[in-house]
Amino acid sequence: MSTPLLEVKELSKYFETPYGLLHAVDHVNFKIDRGKTLGVVGESGCGKTTLGRTILHLLDSTRGKIFFEGEDITHVNRKRLKELRAQMQIIFQDPYSSLNPRMTISETIGEPLRLVKNLKGEELSREVRRLMDVVGLAQRFINTYPHELDGGRRQRIGIARALALNPKFIVCDEPVSALDVSIQAQVINLLLDLQDEWGLTYIFITHDLSVVRYLSDEICVMYLGQVVEKCDADELFRNPLHSYTQALLSAIPSPDIFDKTERVLLQGELASPVNPKPGCRFYPRCRNGCEDCLKPLELVEVSPGHHVACHRYSF
Amino acid sequence: MSEEKTLSISDLVVEYHTDHGVVHAVNGVSLGLEARETLGLVGETGAGKTTIAMSILKILPTPPAKIVSGEVKFEGQDIMKMDSHDLRKVRGNKISMIFQDPMTALNPVFTIGEQIAEGIHLHQNLKKGDAEIKAMEMLEMVGIRRERFTDYPHQFSGGMKQRAIIAIALACNPKLLLADEPTTALDVTIQAQVLDLIGELKERLNTAMILITHDLGVVAKSCDKVAIIYAGQIFEYGTKFQVYAETRHPYTQGLFDSLPSINKEVPRLKPIPGLMPNPMDLPAGCPFHPRCPRAMAECSERAINPTDLGDGHWVRCINPIN
Ligand SMILES: Nc1ncnc2c1ncn2[C@@H]1O[C@H](COP(=O)(O)OP(=O)(O)O)[C@@H](O)[C@H]1O
Ligand SMILES: Nc1ncnc2c1ncn2[C@@H]1O[C@H](COP(=O)(O)OP(=O)(O)O)[C@@H](O)[C@H]1O
Ligand SMILES: [Mg+2]
Ligand SMILES: [Mg+2]
Repeated sequence: MSTPLLEVKELSKYFETPYGLLHAVDHVNFKIDRGKTLGVVGESGCGKTTLGRTILHLLDSTRGKIFFEGEDITHVNRKRLKELRAQMQIIFQDPYSSLNPRMTISETIGEPLRLVKNLKGEELSREVRRLMDVVGLAQRFINTYPHELDGGRRQRIGIARALALNPKFIVCDEPVSALDVSIQAQVINLLLDLQDEWGLTYIFITHDLSVVRYLSDEICVMYLGQVVEKCDADELFRNPLHSYTQALLSAIPSPDIFDKTERVLLQGELASPVNPKPGCRFYPRCRNGCEDCLKPLELVEVSPGHHVACHRYSF
Repeated sequence: MSEEKTLSISDLVVEYHTDHGVVHAVNGVSLGLEARETLGLVGETGAGKTTIAMSILKILPTPPAKIVSGEVKFEGQDIMKMDSHDLRKVRGNKISMIFQDPMTALNPVFTIGEQIAEGIHLHQNLKKGDAEIKAMEMLEMVGIRRERFTDYPHQFSGGMKQRAIIAIALACNPKLLLADEPTTALDVTIQAQVLDLIGELKERLNTAMILITHDLGVVAKSCDKVAIIYAGQIFEYGTKFQVYAETRHPYTQGLFDSLPSINKEVPRLKPIPGLMPNPMDLPAGCPFHPRCPRAMAECSERAINPTDLGDGHWVRCINPIN
């Protein structure tokens, strides 16, 4: 078996807060093979962004290990980090706030090329124009500013910038959530084409389950910092095992008017994982709960490749 | 005697006059709503949905907004011709609106209870004490415990704020509820709770509703009729069944094709090419023609009028899908 492109083991990120220790990401494990997409879904506050940023060393991890192409990169020196940064990139949710408003498109896309690859002059502008082509931005926008463009084009700038250093791995943090459906589909197709052509590996973070099904090979469902279910994308939709996954799936309003599936309504709202007790964090909202749920639990492989953290499945 | 429509809008045209030019936000919209009916008004950002809702309540900021023409009749009376006294009696009482952003719709310095009671006190001629009792009942009706009556908005989660806003909007038993993207800012599980709540209360209080959204899934769950809007024009209108299962407008079809599905594997999404037109400089003829796979020469040459397809289904297209 070949080495996965990325692997995290027991990865955790805790924040000190006035109320106690917030377990934003708690003992997360997964591997992603080269050229594949891992989808990460869950509601706001479940730790998706923190997970992505911790992997990229934009946040320090509290515990656990991160491996990139087999190398332990949990703690690396500045020089190695700079090299890794070129290979591991991020595309942000909000194309409005993640771009510098005072930089033109060509300056924005050119910045990493200048600073890291030391490109200048004609070579730099040729590379900028090539990247604009790759993401489908017309050359006439080369000297415009972000505020002059619509959300879809701004997101394309974010993608071009992330691609500038020829990365192997990109964390896509809700890259299409702020876009209208017709534009969202354009950007999704672009990300898929780039993956095919460049052999990119993605973590695709979203709260939108239909998008994640479409894009992912494997999916992790997160709840309050923990992965509660992990399996092949189609398997998750065919055979969701965790009560939270089931509730999440049934809450999505389907545009199919003939779909008469009964909805499982979840009661209550998300808490925040401050000083969490052992046991299932979903228990207070779970319709299948019992006393066992208060005991510590782990993600268990219940069938090949299908992992779930629920006492009903731990034998 | 035929029953009067709750709402009827005819040929509404609204512009915004800005320093950069004239925004053609609403371009000849006509719509009707029967009592107790729910209409889903669906379109992408900038299509003119919020402007229509604000026109119905006559709360557009003028300037820059300018109602160029049109009639908005509520229970037979023309809102455009009402004076401020009559308007006050209608707003918040007979017609109420839930705004898109739950975070800004509540006043941070008053308690949730005060904010619900205020509307009841103003509109229903109830004494302060009685209004408070009614407000507590409303709070419970939206699933929030009485004890939270004296809480301030910051003590509420996003989902609870939206429930409180629904309580305020429905406190006076309005005839018409305008819900502008009421769940867009919420997580799916909370969205499901809030949509169920709105549906149930609407049923109980016999309220008609315009549900504004960009989400075709939300409409499929909650609406009787559907209007698809693009660049300030209604492109397709009909029952949910007609618009979803007998789709005729190429734009409506384009929206469906752009959606990834959770129920089945889709080999590749088919996005609508291009972008929304600049509302200051709309294309001549059908504003969708530059992006339309079925466009013909005529589409750019003249204004396109709605075609009646029978049974209340109509489409603004001269080359509809058949
Ligand atoms: N810098 C921070 N300090 C304290 N708490 C934080 C910080 N960043 C995120 N959190 C908390 O961590 C949890 C996970 O947040 P986040 O990763 O942003 O979730 P998601 O992206 O899934 O919405 C939330 O409870 C959030 O409030
Ligand atoms: N106060 C305003 N001044 C200028 N233009 C506006 C104003 N409000 C809305 N618009 C413009 O009018 C058009 C319709 O907007 P809106 O009704 O908010 O659409 P929607 O609710 O469908 O997103 C858009 O092009 C928008 O930019
Ligand atoms: Mg996030
Ligand atoms: Mg709006």
